[in-house]
Amino acid sequence: MKFKIYRFNPENDTKPHVQDYELNDIEPGTMLLAALLRIKDEQDQTLSFRRSCGEGVCGSDGMNINGVNGLACITPLDDLKQPIEVKPLPGLPVIRDLIIDMDQFYKQYRAVKPYLIVNDPMPEVELPQTPEQRERLDGLYECVLCACCSTACPSFWWNPDKFLGPAALLQASRFIEDSRDQDFEKRLEELEGPFKLFRCHTIMNCVHVCPKGLNPTKAIGRIKAKMVTRSL
Amino acid sequence: MSLYVLEGLRPWVIQRVSAVYIVLFIVYAASCYFTADAIAYESWKNWLYNPFNTTVVGIFVIALLFHAWIGMRDVVLDYVHNIMFRIFILAILIGILIGSGLWVFRILLLSVVSIG
Repeated sequence: MKFKIYRFNPENDTKPHVQDYELNDIEPGTMLLAALLRIKDEQDQTLSFRRSCGEGVCGSDGMNINGVNGLACITPLDDLKQPIEVKPLPGLPVIRDLIIDMDQFYKQYRAVKPYLIVNDPMPEVELPQTPEQRERLDGLYECVLCACCSTACPSFWWNPDKFLGPAALLQASRFIEDSRDQDFEKRLEELEGPFKLFRCHTIMNCVHVCPKGLNPTKAIGRIKAKMVTRSL
Repeated sequence: MSLYVLEGLRPWVIQRVSAVYIVLFIVYAASCYFTADAIAYESWKNWLYNPFNTTVVGIFVIALLFHAWIGMRDVVLDYVHNIMFRIFILAILIGILIGSGLWVFRILLLSVVSIG
């Protein structure tokens, strides 16, 4: 099986290049991450990429696979056309090989205050929710922050410092929808303006690439609907 | 009013509402065109003289101008990152749109005045 992998080592290279690798005896059902680990172990120990859980839960090994962002650990090689082209997630600076600098991504994530804000005195027991209230968080809380969506979004490529991006907006929606949060008004207020939320043009690349099958575009639509209702 | 005239939510709503109106107007205008007895300057002028048509055309022009402004503004905000160049393009855009709007309203006014 043939691979074309993006390589860049800032210590030695002036510009990135693509390196070819070949692996034999690949068992059916093998994931791309396992292949990358084999290449690293058997052929080239300098190949760098992030990975951790290997189960699609930690979101560490987001990369661009044959032109589509995804998690290497849950991408079966059988489904990929050869040669398999592996590149770092687009739109963010490359640190080395498949490792990108995610500072901008996390900055936008922090900007939406991704935690419950409760102004009342905290109760002695937990804050209860009805099953219906809890259900409203489905499709929002499962995000693993792999950055596949934001780095697939052209609006994020154009304005990564101003547009929050689908991942951060999905998180914003997750807390706006939460019945226990008491900062609803301010959260919506802070998303106003032409850049933070409204650079989303419903391109839906985020939905196409999300390895968890989430729908950030729908979440953004829910925020917009809430803003309209609030303004009436 | 800021550089980005109308800011975030308002333009998003106006863009959608204006789009719906533009579609409805096109359907109405097309139905008038295809059911007209004659397609000539005089019949067009008479059609425009009708107060209902003057009103719907006037609203159509306003909707179109807002829709065009928001669409073009979005393109500029996406692609033009140099702030001075952005202001320059937006200023030219506003000038063209306001000029076009005034021109259409002059036509509407003249069509009403010349017959009346």
